[in-house]
Amino acid sequence: MSRWWRRPSVVRLASSVSVMAAVELVTGPPGSNAAPMAGVSGSFAEKVSFFGLFASPRWSVFLVYALVLYGVWSLWLHRGRQIRNAASVVLARPRNIAQRGTIRWSAAVVLVVVAALLPHFVSDPFWQTAMVEQIAVYVLLALGLNVVVGFAGLLDLGFVAFYAVGAYATAWVTGALPLPPLFGVHLNPFFAIPIAIALAMLAGVLLGTPTLRLRGDYLAIVTLGFGEIIFLFANNLNGITGGSAGTGQIPHFSIHLASIKYVWGLAPVPYYYLTLAFVVLFVIAFSLLEHSRIGRAWTAIREDEVAAESLGINPLKFKVMAFAIGAASAGFAGVVTAAQTNFVNPSVFTLYFSINILVLVIFGGMGSISGAVLGAIVIQTVSMYLIHTPPAGYQPQDLYIYLGALLIVMMIFRPSGLLPSKRRRREIGLAEAGEGHMDEVLTGDTP
Amino acid sequence: MSDDLIFSVKNVTLRFGGVVSLNDVSLEMRRGEILAVIGPNGAGKTSLFNSLTGVYQPQEGQILLSDGHGKTVSVIGRKAHRVSAMGVARTFQASRMFSALTTFENIKIGAESHKGIGILGAMLRGPRTRRGEHDSDARTIELLDFVGLRDKANVISSSLSYGDRRRLEIARGLATGPQVLLLDEPAAGTNPTEKLELTELIRKVRDVMGVSILLIEHDMKLVMSLAERLYVLNFGSVIAQGTPEEIRSNDAVIEAYLGSTTTTEGK
Repeated sequence: MSRWWRRPSVVRLASSVSVMAAVELVTGPPGSNAAPMAGVSGSFAEKVSFFGLFASPRWSVFLVYALVLYGVWSLWLHRGRQIRNAASVVLARPRNIAQRGTIRWSAAVVLVVVAALLPHFVSDPFWQTAMVEQIAVYVLLALGLNVVVGFAGLLDLGFVAFYAVGAYATAWVTGALPLPPLFGVHLNPFFAIPIAIALAMLAGVLLGTPTLRLRGDYLAIVTLGFGEIIFLFANNLNGITGGSAGTGQIPHFSIHLASIKYVWGLAPVPYYYLTLAFVVLFVIAFSLLEHSRIGRAWTAIREDEVAAESLGINPLKFKVMAFAIGAASAGFAGVVTAAQTNFVNPSVFTLYFSINILVLVIFGGMGSISGAVLGAIVIQTVSMYLIHTPPAGYQPQDLYIYLGALLIVMMIFRPSGLLPSKRRRREIGLAEAGEGHMDEVLTGDTP
Repeated sequence: MSDDLIFSVKNVTLRFGGVVSLNDVSLEMRRGEILAVIGPNGAGKTSLFNSLTGVYQPQEGQILLSDGHGKTVSVIGRKAHRVSAMGVARTFQASRMFSALTTFENIKIGAESHKGIGILGAMLRGPRTRRGEHDSDARTIELLDFVGLRDKANVISSSLSYGDRRRLEIARGLATGPQVLLLDEPAAGTNPTEKLELTELIRKVRDVMGVSILLIEHDMKLVMSLAERLYVLNFGSVIAQGTPEEIRSNDAVIEAYLGSTTTTEGK
């Protein structure tokens, strides 16, 4: 702690400056949507490099942004500072666990850096597109479904519905649907993000409130039905959704804020970075959520709903919340897909899609954020590989045979998933030892 | 209903199909007392508990609960989590901890369950969320000390001994800030030493925290030494009530427990 560069305020300032530097690099004259990495890859001699930035007055704006970011961040932390307390004494974690935490964080940082550099090493356009459309978007979806299935323990077979809501909401507010947008204003998809997320969450609440009183299999059937309803709506409401043809006029993302100007074009790489940024945000938000009141309440409900309720936890409220939060990330994935491909049509939003996402979560390890991310990356990469370089005799419809086999092998050798969460692993261990009481009937005298 | 009554149960009948689990049960519980409900297996004790906490909804009768601020509310028709919010905490016959969580987390869930929730605050760990976490942590530590589990704060709850599980459940219930704590066979599965410590703990809960206690127990020695008043249930009906001395010499109770008919017929 004595080293000045490790002091929290210094770390915060450095992070703020580097985040804004990265933003400036890809948004100004040095970078452009044709060459998003020009600011980094250009030589020093040319003015397109990072150092070219200081030759223009833009650097002062950049500094202001960085300081604003630093200020907001510090203020956020400052309120509620007196929170070092006796708890830290009792909860002082054994050294090896604390070290494991550090290792996890370092691993996460390394992964983000690798992910950020990846487009430099992947030049095949097929893979560049796949990285956005088939991997990054699926990571978002898996993260969202993990909240529902993993954290709250609710089997949702209609998760695709929220993805569809997000995509159609984007088409709607950008004016691409037959249904005119509110007040006739055609928004840029960037501003569709909050609207799509809000609408997806609303759909989650609307679906959840009446159905989450059901348990297990019944819930799965109802959500499955909900997915089909959304599909049928999208397919048949010609005057609103454009019917089975969908719509193909969704504009690309663009952003204009003082010196920050950027238009996401046809190239997949800028979309990749945008999605990556949101994946990081969702991962952080969901990790905090897992270890918050809400995450603990979910665990409590999952393990023993009767006991949880006796402590004053309203199971319905928390389940609806899980639905809404999961829906938010699916809604965002819908925005990215709609804006990147410029079109939506209902053929994507099928039961297969929901099951595919569920497979990612189960494969990665239910209830584990890193598991959901890794599961999505591994499975989607495998399926993309099979499409890109099919082995002899491989037919496109064979994909699910391969995935099914993979899943079976997985369930035999690692039933809790690739990277199971600590809590889930304990639960499975206890259930195997016959100690769990997950769905036990109320104890006590038989009536 | 006056404020010094916590529960007032009037003519409650609970049926499951054709099976009558509670038959015309009436019972009163005073604020600040340690009250016990005893009876043979299948007498309806746990059904009574489940009715008092909103888990079961009896078909007939009234269960009134004083909220401690001069108001009286009906338990019937309220869900379990609403009843908990009105100051009723309970433990279960077979311990029902959240077995994949640590002792600390178990109790903390109780401590924070009646607080407001902000989704965004929780996702961004905002100032209010952090203050809430801090308060719950402090409360949890207090309770860990109170029940004597502080050195086991970071232990996964499923690896606790039976006695410690009971303590954990008591602490978890107390964390919700109740006016009354319902204990369903707290001494089941504990050894004699643990039983003694548990008796002391239960008395301490009432004396120090001012929480009234309602307990179901099979262990007569424990009940007689702890309870100030008792109700005896048999086949879903109250067959006797009174102080431990009165109950000990009550013929109906002796018959229910020993199954002997000679004593009553001899009268």
